[in-house]
Amino acid sequence: MTPTPTRPLPVPDEQSAPFWAAAARHILTVARCSACGLYTVPPDQVCPHCRTTDPAFSFEPVSGRGVVRSWTVVRQSFLPGFADQVPFVLVDVELAEQAQLRLIGRLLDGPDTALHAGDPVTVGFEDLADGVAVPAFTLAGPAGGVA
Amino acid sequence: MVGYAHSPVTRHAGRPLGAVAVDTARAAIVDAGLEVGQVDGFVTSALFPTAGSHAVVDGESLVSADWLAAHLGTIPRYVAGFQGIGQIPGMVGLAVNAVASGAADYVLLHRALHNPTGRYHGNPMTTVAGAQQWTAPQGFFGPLSMIALPYTEYLQRYRADRDAMAAVLVEARKNGARIPWSYWYKQPLTAEEYRAAPMLSDPIGRFDCDLPVDGVAAFILTSAQRARDLPHRPVYVAGYASSPPPPRRLPLHWPLDDIMTGGAETARRLWDSAGIRPTDVDLPQVYDGFSPFVWFWLEALGFCPVGEAHRFIQDGGIDSDNPTALPALSGGGALGNGRMHGIPQMLECYLQLAGRAGDRQREQATVGVACHSSPHYGGAVAYTSEPG
Repeated sequence: MTPTPTRPLPVPDEQSAPFWAAAARHILTVARCSACGLYTVPPDQVCPHCRTTDPAFSFEPVSGRGVVRSWTVVRQSFLPGFADQVPFVLVDVELAEQAQLRLIGRLLDGPDTALHAGDPVTVGFEDLADGVAVPAFTLAGPAGGVA
Repeated sequence: MVGYAHSPVTRHAGRPLGAVAVDTARAAIVDAGLEVGQVDGFVTSALFPTAGSHAVVDGESLVSADWLAAHLGTIPRYVAGFQGIGQIPGMVGLAVNAVASGAADYVLLHRALHNPTGRYHGNPMTTVAGAQQWTAPQGFFGPLSMIALPYTEYLQRYRADRDAMAAVLVEARKNGARIPWSYWYKQPLTAEEYRAAPMLSDPIGRFDCDLPVDGVAAFILTSAQRARDLPHRPVYVAGYASSPPPPRRLPLHWPLDDIMTGGAETARRLWDSAGIRPTDVDLPQVYDGFSPFVWFWLEALGFCPVGEAHRFIQDGGIDSDNPTALPALSGGGALGNGRMHGIPQMLECYLQLAGRAGDRQREQATVGVACHSSPHYGGAVAYTSEPG
């Protein structure tokens, strides 16, 4: 019996299993098309760049570095598992590896963190359960939060 | 377009949505001077737009065109439902083409919206598979954060202030307060009340969101030739456009650049389809399910320069009581009526261009544009008071 609702845990599927397995080891990976070599978030049946129907995406480790493009402070969540976590910050991050390659995750620096477009961040992980970790971000470098 | 009906907009109708839809459909058919048996086409876009865990039941949480035809006890020649986003322009396109092709002579087009008991977007999921596995474990879930992200981008990029949005809400609620069927009838909002409301997902606060409601609207469409024999002055569909496919993104991730790039193409398609330009439009009705869409649509359609909508509106640019301004929310929109999903925009175009707006009738209203959803993930329809 769990006293409080739990955050939703990802259910890996055939395509996403390598991503979640790497995340559990605190390694951020992004799906890369075997035909054109470009990254895609999230992967699809057809590569959105070269349109091959056989992209054979592989989840390759990335630097985990990026810049903040946008953010929001979530003050009420529709997911009961986050009821005791609000307020929390979500950041829209453009990864360093490829233009417009964008992930959304929590910013672990706290809800009152001053943010500006372009602030550098680096990946972090939240361990949610045994063998389950979810990517998140933290501000990186001297520019973070003080620009 | 030759007739319409609209149910009261309420938090909970106290009767099944399907029964309200049947009553509204019958009233629209009568309004158009027709009998049920003459209506041989039924079109809708039935989506129940919620992130919540509610059961989806035809006739209760949504009303399909098939359900409505069956419960009116008629056997139509043509039944269709639009499946994409931008439900109103999508289904208007289906109805127009059914009439133009001869698939149906008289099409009843309806939209039924439901507010379930419990939290509208609440979802007790503890595991998540499929597309949302990439976002829900992080807490990115539901439309508030969806719209908050491009809104933050806009505020940053154009050095705009969230306080500027108060002018949008004051205008929407001023107009909605004049509409008897609106949830917000006789309930205008002040800028102070707007600013005092709690934040939900910064910079989105309570009044930046439309209110979930029960409500049904229905319209009758036919050919211009058949319209001549019917009681009301017809309103003509001059053109319509749906957005191009958006870029591949995480679920509900709508970067501002996607919205404005896709929106420019939506606008181009609309002007090409209707054979008009922005300067021809004297009744723009921008979509406002979330307040930032008002800024995005005004800019995407070229009614003000990109990055300036926040100032344009603060300077009185959309005041429906100023004859020199653009009455962009004169129908109250979703913010001033309730979550009727693009219906207020369509209905305002119909009522004004048909000369049926009563006390709210505008002197000059000849070309209207009704928008729905996001400029990059929605669409728009152009209406005229004269055949093109």
